[in-house]
Amino acid sequence: MPGKFCVSLTHAKDNRDKATVAFVVANAAAGSEKSTLVFLSTEAVRLAVPGYADDVHEEGFAPLKDLIANFAAAGGTIYVCSPCFKKRGLDENKLIPGAKIVGGAKLVEWLSDGSPCVSY
Amino acid sequence: MQAPGPPLGPAADRWDAGDMGCGELIVLLRARIRALEPGQLLHLTARDPGAPEDLPAWSRMTGHRLRHEAHPDYWIERRAD
Repeated sequence: MPGKFCVSLTHAKDNRDKATVAFVVANAAAGSEKSTLVFLSTEAVRLAVPGYADDVHEEGFAPLKDLIANFAAAGGTIYVCSPCFKKRGLDENKLIPGAKIVGGAKLVEWLSDGSPCVSY
Repeated sequence: MQAPGPPLGPAADRWDAGDMGCGELIVLLRARIRALEPGQLLHLTARDPGAPEDLPAWSRMTGHRLRHEAHPDYWIERRAD
């Protein structure tokens, strides 16, 4: 049962619970052999910065850095909203493995063939 | 006490995932099953209360066959490529 799946995330340390659960669901999709995208926008773009997520560990869940690493290792794709990243003055040359800075057209392209998307 | 296994023959791999569940379990299960040869069995123990619903759904999506389940024990056969 091939297919695509998208998880849209707009939170980082401002809502550690949502940031964590978004990656748990993304791991469920990637682990179920869906071609899976995590789209990071607004505050969530900070998660694409190496080391940022290292101290996020919600009770009852794996550490966020492990969830992100497992997602990338399973072949997951991470798109990072370009204007959101630039607005925050972050360094586009320092990204976690699997992350790619993109504009909105890449998200639209991913969703245009009917990919479902869940938002956190 | 370990649950008695079904008459499926020996499992090629054994994984006690403890209380791990949801996507944390599924993404690691994917890697574990991909390490097997087609037709080989994985004996998984997953105590998470969501596992009895999640693992059959994962099996239907991926084609890896859930040969037997007796929560918290599951025997999964790797599909042919």
